[in-house]
Amino acid sequence: MRLERELACKEVVELVTAYLDDALEPTDRERFEEHLVFCDGCDGYLEQMRLTIQATGRLDTGRLPAGLEERLLEAFRGWRAP
Amino acid sequence: MIAYKFLDTDGVAPFTGFRWPVDEWVETGGVELCRDGVHACRARDLPIWMGRELWEIELDGQVVERDRKVVAARGRLLRRIPEWNEELLEAFGRFCSRRTREQVGFLPVLAGYVVDVDRFVAQGRFPIAGFAAARAAELRDGPDGYERERLLQAAWLAERLFREESSAFVPE
Repeated sequence: MRLERELACKEVVELVTAYLDDALEPTDRERFEEHLVFCDGCDGYLEQMRLTIQATGRLDTGRLPAGLEERLLEAFRGWRAP
Repeated sequence: MIAYKFLDTDGVAPFTGFRWPVDEWVETGGVELCRDGVHACRARDLPIWMGRELWEIELDGQVVERDRKVVAARGRLLRRIPEWNEELLEAFGRFCSRRTREQVGFLPVLAGYVVDVDRFVAQGRFPIAGFAAARAAELRDGPDGYERERLLQAAWLAERLFREESSAFVPE
């Protein structure tokens, strides 16, 4: 993924997951972080995403009602289906 | 090589969350931009990476200089620079306001940037004041205008922080 020099907030929001997954090219990661330095909104959004991932990463699948896990997996499998 | 590093409160790196020890060598696995290595900046990069605390750092081993940062195999935090404080940032904000007014204040299509930069400064949001001032210069003069304004900002900071003659990295 290659970006122009200047990122807009909309692009930063779209790239947050790739940033957290360490999937951005180094130069794009640099642009991303450069944007975070001056953009309080995007910096806050990134922090919210980090906290959300931390919180949901601790969910216990054993607490799901019977059949719900399978229904969710089925829904995810069909995500791209028309 | 002596360079500079911005950290959050209590010496924590803003992007990695690593808590830097003082006067202790930190070794890394290698030198790779934004992935591995100790990342720091030169005086000319200061306005790009503004943060809460500014530290002096010694870099050693393989050192790679990039457009906006330096990356090294190992680094040792030397001292916090006390001159990087609220007073300096407020003065920097006023500098950005003045520059923007001088650069684009007389151009109706760009004069809104003067209001924006003034507002950012009043809110204490100095990194974005610097960015907006450079962006206004870019819209007036093209990409070179952005880079030139950033270098002027760096020179302004370096003169006050290090008593450094920074004309070496500011174009005529």
